[in-house]
Amino acid sequence: MSTRTSPAPAPAPERGTPTRHVDPMRRQQAIAAWVLAVPFMALFLAFTAGPVLASLGMSFTDIRSTDIRNPFGVELVGLANYADLLTDPLFRKVTLNTTLYLVLGVPLTMAAALAVAVGLNRLTRLTGFFRVGFYLPVVTSIVAVSVVWKFLLRDNGGLVNTALGGLGIDGPGWLDSTTTALPSLVVMAVWRNFGTLMVIFLAALQTVPRELVEAAESDGAGGWGRFRHITLPILRPTLLFGAVITSIGYLQFFEEAYVMTKGGPLDSTRSVTFFTFDQWGYGNYGYASAAAYLLFLAIMVLTALQFRLLREKD
Amino acid sequence: MRPTTTAIALLTATSLALTACGREDSGGTEAQSEEISGGEATGTIEVWAMGTEGEVLQEFSADFEEANPDATVEVTAVPWESAHDKLAGAIASGETPDVSLIGTTWMGEFAEAGGLMPTPDNLVDESDFFPGAWDSTEVGGTSYGVPWYVETRVLYYRTDLADKAGWSEAPESWDDLKQFAQDMESKGGAEFGLNLQPGQTGSWQTMLPFAWSNGASLTNEEGTEYTIDSPETAEALDYYASFFEEGLSETRLLDLGELESGFAEGKYGSFISGPWHTGLVEEAGVTEEQYTVAPLPGPDGSPGSSFVGGGDLAVFNDSENADSAWKYVQWLSEPETQQGFYDEVGDLPAVQSAWESGELAEDPQLQVFGQQLESAQSPPAVPTWEQVAGAIDSIVEQSSKGGLASDEAVAEMQSKASSIGTGL
Repeated sequence: MSTRTSPAPAPAPERGTPTRHVDPMRRQQAIAAWVLAVPFMALFLAFTAGPVLASLGMSFTDIRSTDIRNPFGVELVGLANYADLLTDPLFRKVTLNTTLYLVLGVPLTMAAALAVAVGLNRLTRLTGFFRVGFYLPVVTSIVAVSVVWKFLLRDNGGLVNTALGGLGIDGPGWLDSTTTALPSLVVMAVWRNFGTLMVIFLAALQTVPRELVEAAESDGAGGWGRFRHITLPILRPTLLFGAVITSIGYLQFFEEAYVMTKGGPLDSTRSVTFFTFDQWGYGNYGYASAAAYLLFLAIMVLTALQFRLLREKD
Repeated sequence: MRPTTTAIALLTATSLALTACGREDSGGTEAQSEEISGGEATGTIEVWAMGTEGEVLQEFSADFEEANPDATVEVTAVPWESAHDKLAGAIASGETPDVSLIGTTWMGEFAEAGGLMPTPDNLVDESDFFPGAWDSTEVGGTSYGVPWYVETRVLYYRTDLADKAGWSEAPESWDDLKQFAQDMESKGGAEFGLNLQPGQTGSWQTMLPFAWSNGASLTNEEGTEYTIDSPETAEALDYYASFFEEGLSETRLLDLGELESGFAEGKYGSFISGPWHTGLVEEAGVTEEQYTVAPLPGPDGSPGSSFVGGGDLAVFNDSENADSAWKYVQWLSEPETQQGFYDEVGDLPAVQSAWESGELAEDPQLQVFGQQLESAQSPPAVPTWEQVAGAIDSIVEQSSKGGLASDEAVAEMQSKASSIGTGL
């Protein structure tokens, strides 16, 4: 915590002594900095930090929607909400689902993004066209995308099953079965999300020094060898960044399931965020806050883990 | 202070502030408000209303303003999507309008939160309203508003397919209904005889009427405990689930518009829904001669029960003009006003006598709804109802798709509901 080393002037001046010299220029700058920062700070404290702390407080109480007129008239229940969550069969189910979204979604998204980025990096023509094409889903409204995919995946008359029918395969109702609904959502999410990572990876790929690649080539390294031993190590920090932001995204999986399956069939696509949303809607503010904080904890732990696993090895 | 220390200090402070005051249980039943004064309404009456009601109410209230020259009605239209949160926010801050339209399933929550004022004694006569509609205003034995408009669910079916299947009359018992659905498939040519909702959001509104028809009650007389686990509910769920097992209903959730277009194509022979579907199926290309509506049948040939929903009118505790606000509510629930409002927007009146003349008395389709409303029931008006309903929806889904045995299913509903509690 105290690893920060600031170049402090040798003997620290005693507080409040008139001998302390302050450069008037620096003083003015400090005032200006505070004046400029105040509007943001005020908004941040009132509308971000305040509610965040309030919800943390709420997670230790039994506050419900009927308590809104008297929010302090609630009982403190300690960790009871958290304990209840861990034994709630539905919460366990949604935790499992969220884990599935994560372990299926993150590797697929990263692999797709990397593959497309490497491909685009080699392309000399039509690069703009492909970049825009692959990035387009990212900037499209997620709800619109979900509605369209819902129709694509329809049992009868959906484009996917019509295409499969042409090949003589009788496709299932993708979103109506407990086994295929979640993977279908993951495929859609991968398609929608990989564009962001693709752009980031593409930028990182252009920092790979040509000389290194050429040197390796003249040493007889094949395409895979160059990718494995030159490109990947250079991309390592970018991959870490990509893994972290993608994981956070998949842990908060919600809109796709909300629009396409409403969490069904039989809760097979309900995520932790969806569960929290439901509980909030039912008016169980304390319980919902506790669920949100468990998810927050999971995100922190996972991020820390990824930093540890992917950090540069000296 | 380091950030962590600050956070801990803040937390401790909050915790201490919270421990200082515990929940005070109101217990007992709140008394109805005192009778309102005589004479005309005065001052400004602020009204919130949602949907079409919100759009037309201002103009519609001109008659009230004419009769009460000293009163001004100010209507604010609020979209349904944000209405719940707006009302909750208004109640929390004490900045409420005087009167608002309240969805029947929100009554429990807002009344229990202390936002709504109990209905004054003698404001209206309870027996003027459909009993199921009146029940939606009663939270813990006290009434917190007046039913404004209602809707209920009936059986829609294709008469041309029914004729082919040999049914000139609507089914009148559960056995009939099953036979009817089977015949719609085997002789009428429908792919699904009777399409019911296989669980998920709102399916309780179709499933519970079967239980009510069978004599089940969701709570005890006082409304303090759930009594879902009964042989009557189990039998009803068994009957409901059998439609899925026998392929008479589709086991997947339909997309928006699929039911109407399927009904027009003859894919679905019949379904159960509310009054808005008359417009929707006609838009989908079903002519008036091709379909009809019928009351839901009971198990043994007696009329069945249904679900009643709609909107109630409530006055807020923070209203500054409550006396006049109640007079406005009283005016809106007069039979003539109710009829006038039906003519304006097509909302079905909650007052029974409004159905005795005019179009409501003559149109055979509307009469079916009127008849169904007499026996229709509303779910318990408790703050936790939405959550209990969510649990029921998910268990209905397990029964209709997963084949969960109905006695286990209702036991599960009971245990979920009991652990959620009534929230009163």
